[in-house]
Amino acid sequence: MTAVRRHGLFLTIAIWLVLLLAGLVVDEWVLALLATYFAYGIFAMGLSLIWGQAGVLSFGQAIFFGAGAYSFALVTLGMLPWLGDSIAMGFLLALAVPTLLSGLVAWVTFAGRGLSGAHFAIVTLCAAAVAETAVTRADFLGGYNGLFGVPPMMIGGEMLEVSAQYFIMLLVALGVFAVLSLIIRSPYGTLLQAIREDENRVAHLGYDTRWLKSVAFIIAGALSGLAGALFAMQFGFVSPSLVGFALSTQVLIWVAVGGRSVLMAAFLGALIVPGAENTLSNILGDIWLLLIGALFVLAVVASRNGVLGALLRLPDPERFGRNADSETQKG
Amino acid sequence: MEFILDTLNYFSVLMLVVLGLVVIFGLMNVINMAHGEFLLIGAYTVVAATGAGLNFWVGLLLAPLVAALVGLIVEVLVVQRIYHRFLDTILATWGISLVLKQSVILIFGPTAQSVPNPLPGSMSVFGVDYPRMRVVIIVAAISLSVALYLALFRSNIGLKLRTVIANRDIAAALGLNTRAMDRASFSLGVALAGFAGAIMAPVMSVDPQMGVGFLIPSFLAILLGGVNSLIGAVVGVGAISGATNFISVWLSQADTQIIVFLLAMVVIRFFPEGILKGRKK
Repeated sequence: MTAVRRHGLFLTIAIWLVLLLAGLVVDEWVLALLATYFAYGIFAMGLSLIWGQAGVLSFGQAIFFGAGAYSFALVTLGMLPWLGDSIAMGFLLALAVPTLLSGLVAWVTFAGRGLSGAHFAIVTLCAAAVAETAVTRADFLGGYNGLFGVPPMMIGGEMLEVSAQYFIMLLVALGVFAVLSLIIRSPYGTLLQAIREDENRVAHLGYDTRWLKSVAFIIAGALSGLAGALFAMQFGFVSPSLVGFALSTQVLIWVAVGGRSVLMAAFLGALIVPGAENTLSNILGDIWLLLIGALFVLAVVASRNGVLGALLRLPDPERFGRNADSETQKG
Repeated sequence: MEFILDTLNYFSVLMLVVLGLVVIFGLMNVINMAHGEFLLIGAYTVVAATGAGLNFWVGLLLAPLVAALVGLIVEVLVVQRIYHRFLDTILATWGISLVLKQSVILIFGPTAQSVPNPLPGSMSVFGVDYPRMRVVIIVAAISLSVALYLALFRSNIGLKLRTVIANRDIAAALGLNTRAMDRASFSLGVALAGFAGAIMAPVMSVDPQMGVGFLIPSFLAILLGGVNSLIGAVVGVGAISGATNFISVWLSQADTQIIVFLLAMVVIRFFPEGILKGRKK
């Protein structure tokens, strides 16, 4: 383990520290914005698990984000009276519904020989389009206008200060990062990466790749739901655009530009790209979208690790007797 | 009778769009998310041409040429680097679609443009009065499909093209210029999309979003019929357009779309290789 290979670890820790310090010094408006982007970041890390690790390209991840956001809104607005209107119940439903939905999608698409990569991408893309149209048509969900007045973060009936909200969002993001890092660096994570490289080979070794992929897809779906709920809470309202095609493709762009296979890079991609969009789109107007498209193409063609992937890659996990040949594991 | 003509009309429009995708996705294995934007190139070529005082039909001839040029540029700059990375083609072409759409917005503005209908009025088709331009589109779709079938599966150049796609290394060893073939087929696919956009320009509102609505139905049509098959694509387009027109008798457009997409996804789930599994043409 050379010093060079540890730079990813040091940088990752440094970035979390910077984000922590930012909560003390940065002004409230930026903090509120950043807190919203942390929801995007959690969403992006979920996608990084299923896409960056397992190589399953989901073009409909916003279905689960939107399902989480709408579930949370429905509960906290008291529209599902038999569930109460507590924030805790909102989060519970925002985890349960996307978990079930992603389980259903996994069951349908991975079953049997399963859909190949491209078929899976196109089918999930269609599913996102269907979901968005369906939500737009659903009067109970507010139709095209969405649902307003989703309550903000509160403890004991008091609305929290912006900086407190920021720290809570940061801690949730850090927690998700830690848990996902453990998953990715476990033997299960290694299997996911093996599926990405050659699914048939993993299957021939006796593993049930359908089951392995489904678990990762469901974890990603649940995380997307959590991110959606957090976003609804930060943003105050939900609309059909959280479900469909546009957000699904945006999160792909964030993750690809950041670095799909490195968790921290995917997370930062989801902070930096929308952040840059927010500041630059006013100045550059339509040119901004042209630029981001070009940057996206460049990130895809030139490197699979995105802009930040190589910088933030953590050293490989050390397992018994394995650290000697860990050099050869890298692709 | 009018119901049949309306179905045939939607079939023709979708078929025109799908033809280019058959070449780029079906044959070349590039999952082309920019296909809707390739339509824009054709449509806006006609807008520019008619705006400059040229005849619509001149614009219709120019459109596939301009599109082919754009296709060539896109192939050389981007696509040739990712032929071997199947899934990444989705992402790269998605980025290309953003760039193309924004370029169109920068040049022509975000609002809808109109192209004067070169053939106003209607004519009698089997006793039904039907708009003349729509009849032209139906005829163009059918004859272009037949022409593409002959070119790909009955001509020498089509054979070479399919050889390159089937096995690049062996094709190169046989002395075929695989790079030239790649460029030619990608440009052909984009040119077909450009033609589709151009011929539809008088009957649709030409705006930067016009391609988006075609993307999903055309991919579904190809997957339904089976990738790597032109006849399959015809069957897929027939299934999608037939089901859409049939269901839209009872339901609104949005609900129809939901049901057709869901049905298509279920069929694809059970026939991942298409309903015409086994056929290779």
